Amino acid sequence: MSTTLTTPVADAHPAASGVREPAGAPDGADGLYRRIARRETHSPRSLLAIVLAVLLIVTLAWLGTEIVLALLGAPALLVAPADMFTSAVNLVDAPVGVVAAAGIVVALIGLVLVITAIAPGRRARHLLPTGRTVVVVDNEVIASALARHASLAGNVDPDNATVSVTHRRADVHLTPTSGIPVDQAAVIDHVSRQLDSYRLTPAVTARVRIAENGRIGA
Amino acid sequence: MNSTNRAANRLLILIVGLLLLVVGAAAAAAVLLPTVRDGWEGATGQVTDQVSAWLQQTPLGGTGASWIMPALLVLAVIGIIVLIVFIARQGRGHTGVAVREPTSEHGTTVVESAVAERALQDAIGGRSEFVASHVSTYRVKRTPVLKISVTCRRGVSPADAAAIVDDAVRALDVLLGRPLPALVQISGGFRARVTSTARLQ
Repeated sequence: MSTTLTTPVADAHPAASGVREPAGAPDGADGLYRRIARRETHSPRSLLAIVLAVLLIVTLAWLGTEIVLALLGAPALLVAPADMFTSAVNLVDAPVGVVAAAGIVVALIGLVLVITAIAPGRRARHLLPTGRTVVVVDNEVIASALARHASLAGNVDPDNATVSVTHRRADVHLTPTSGIPVDQAAVIDHVSRQLDSYRLTPAVTARVRIAENGRIGA
Repeated sequence: MNSTNRAANRLLILIVGLLLLVVGAAAAAAVLLPTVRDGWEGATGQVTDQVSAWLQQTPLGGTGASWIMPALLVLAVIGIIVLIVFIARQGRGHTGVAVREPTSEHGTTVVESAVAERALQDAIGGRSEFVASHVSTYRVKRTPVLKISVTCRRGVSPADAAAIVDDAVRALDVLLGRPLPALVQISGGFRARVTSTARLQ
């Protein structure tokens, strides 16, 4: 390609500063950006809906086939419509244990589906304001960056820093090298400053735990 | 980003869930609770009579069969068609046009989204902070929106990653002469975990 993008001089910012001017979003994009941010941080529930739709299609196709077979007078595939009706009506005559267990299981599946349909379904992501664009960051990226900073501040190997980031909290867990103490205050300070510089929405607070027993040769 | 109708997704899940909940609870209650059981047994004969009466009252022409069964068949077919359309509607919304503008009374200027996508890909693809990057264009509320997804290497600060992409997008604004709305998605996939950080001892 002959055209390459070069950073415009007027807009140049130091990448590491972490502070960006808020301006720069295209005109009238506020509503658009709000919609995108909302949709990117919440689950579309597509997979479950598609699975349910496929199951419904299979069931309806089977019911339709049974109806056609019954109308033609041919033997049923599994159950003839008339038999379905009578067995449903005479449900109470069936063995109690089987009906009760099946009914409770079906009801529980239904309850789970209802809860899934109503729950917000947040994804493990955070928003990061830059002004010009909508930025969504996976929690594991934040965790990975925090782990690097925590391991630098605590002077431990990056492989001995474990960070898990949830909606509002970042749990930093350090395993020190045997014989080398870790300055917990320094780690907390460093990690918190990093988190503040990201200005995540929703805000995340850091918690640092340092293992009591070090690891030899780590 | 895509135009998936999320309300429809949730509505379908809710309806199926309520249906299963009611049917399952009714079946369990019918055999477990004595009062419900008695009521159910009392109503059995009545319901059977009612339904057979309906089937007799609804003859289909001269065939002697009821039209209720064919009607149910039609409903099932309609249901299947609606569900297939529902599945096909998921995940769409890609567009090939980034800018469409009537520049003069004689014609329209169209900038294909491939221009923006390749330019961004060029600017971002070479950065060592990213393992992979992909740019695509979607229509959101009838506006073309760029979606830039990048996979970071282990330990890369999300703020730095956002700043790099932001700069590329601002440079694209200058190139195109207009800002395009953009979404940046920063992820660290499996590859990012395996890729270890370079360290000098």
